[in-house]
Amino acid sequence: MTSRELVKRTLEFSSPARIPRQLWFLPWASDHYPEELAQIQKRFPDDLLTSPSFYKKMPKTVGDEYSPGTYIDEWGCIFKNRQKGIKGEIKEPLLKNWGELDKVKVPRERLSLDLEKVNDFCRSHDQFILSRSCARPFEQLQFIRKPGNLFLDLADRPTELFCLIERIHQFYCEEMELWARTDVDALVFSDDWGGQNSLLISPALWRKMFKPLYEDYVDIARRQGKYIFMHSDGYIMDIIPDLVEMGVDALNSQLFCMNIEELGRRFKGTMTFWGEIDRQYLLPYGTTEEVRAAVRKVKDSLYQDGGVIAQCEFDVGAKPENVAAVFLAWEELSYSL
Amino acid sequence: MVKDIQEALLKGKKEDVEKLVDRALSSKMPTARILNEGLIAGMERVGIMFKNNEVFIPEVLVAARAMNAGLVKLEPFLVRDKIQPKGSVVIGTVKGDLHDIGKNLVAMMLRGAGYRIIDLGIDVSAEKFVSAARENKADIVALSALLTTTMIQMKNIVETLHSQGLKIPVIIGGAPVTREYADEIKAEGYAADAASAVEEVGKLIAR
Repeated sequence: MTSRELVKRTLEFSSPARIPRQLWFLPWASDHYPEELAQIQKRFPDDLLTSPSFYKKMPKTVGDEYSPGTYIDEWGCIFKNRQKGIKGEIKEPLLKNWGELDKVKVPRERLSLDLEKVNDFCRSHDQFILSRSCARPFEQLQFIRKPGNLFLDLADRPTELFCLIERIHQFYCEEMELWARTDVDALVFSDDWGGQNSLLISPALWRKMFKPLYEDYVDIARRQGKYIFMHSDGYIMDIIPDLVEMGVDALNSQLFCMNIEELGRRFKGTMTFWGEIDRQYLLPYGTTEEVRAAVRKVKDSLYQDGGVIAQCEFDVGAKPENVAAVFLAWEELSYSL
Repeated sequence: MVKDIQEALLKGKKEDVEKLVDRALSSKMPTARILNEGLIAGMERVGIMFKNNEVFIPEVLVAARAMNAGLVKLEPFLVRDKIQPKGSVVIGTVKGDLHDIGKNLVAMMLRGAGYRIIDLGIDVSAEKFVSAARENKADIVALSALLTTTMIQMKNIVETLHSQGLKIPVIIGGAPVTREYADEIKAEGYAADAASAVEEVGKLIAR
């Protein structure tokens, strides 16, 4: 069975031969633990890969996204960074006031996707391929307005906010339509909606302003026969029913910010849980036995003839032995499927 | 009238809060009453609702904006009547860390609860925390960090405060931070979120 088939069986709850896996890592990990990271990747190769972005015209950025200093992304948003190996923060908004709305230019170079090169990549790999494009309207709004300003905007709701959302969303839809025409297996969208213990905005506001955007992305995927994956950090229990309802196939979330047993009771068998194993405490500070126990807990709560992907992130501060323990534990659990 | 101030603040109606504070002042209501039973009581209700997930960050920010507008109106009268804040809190994100949304929320909630806030911003050295705490006669030092690699600065700040003889309680918070870590570095307080921070600061000052 190829990795692609393994992941599809997982998504379809059709008893995959083993639990598929994927390791995410920040440059911090490859800077600090290059050998350990390489060993983990060799021992536990990924079953899911993200397609490279093959653009005919490269988007314009300035600086290095993961280096100290200043980085300007393809939208013109300016990030400041003090730490090597992680992404920086917006300190000044691109859009300081609504009179400057025309300053926001969507990065149209990302629409110069070379579909044939993407398809060649898909054909030459047995893994399940995810699109490189990642629609993230809430995050992009924060980058453009700066987070504090955007939260005030969401309370005040000026007309210009909706114009901006529409502009961003139209671009993301165009981009997703392009990727949907390739041979990738899944499209991806992402936005971090959770704080440590609650959503960042009310569920009602989320449903009114952002759910319709995500429904469009799901619709694009469905029309082209693609799976649809979503990432969202933080506590997001309140919107998971909506994600299930709209047909998200797989969700990457911080399970350990939520009650995992409750997640299982309510959502096991309705959607695939694409990780994770806790990167706030367990991976940096836990013992390997605690990590293994966490993996068992996730499997016991969420696995139902599939529906679980062994994913974790080798993030700042994580111990390599704990990251390895995650995949070893999942491998051992796979024997008893 | 104080109830009206609370309600306007809860709804984030900045202009209404300003008008109501003006009206209260014109009616010769004592300044302390407008402050404590109007503005601070309003923000206390916001804090409770935030903790209970009845309101979220946007609502807290507009309420804080309305509170600040009311405080600006009240400021000359607070000075005239020599009304003191509940305490002074020096707050910042530690050295090497640029994250501030959580720290800003905590600062807003504490200001709304009647504390004087000295916000040092982001990427703040231990020396700057210590000198600000000394100069401002701080009652509390509040530290924020979002990365496991920067939270170790918190230990450094606690130790520096102690070594300089400053017995000021320290409260810490941020995504990787836990109560256990606070105990480990001998920080007196820990808060998982902005609403809890106000409660925790209150307890530490009352000790």
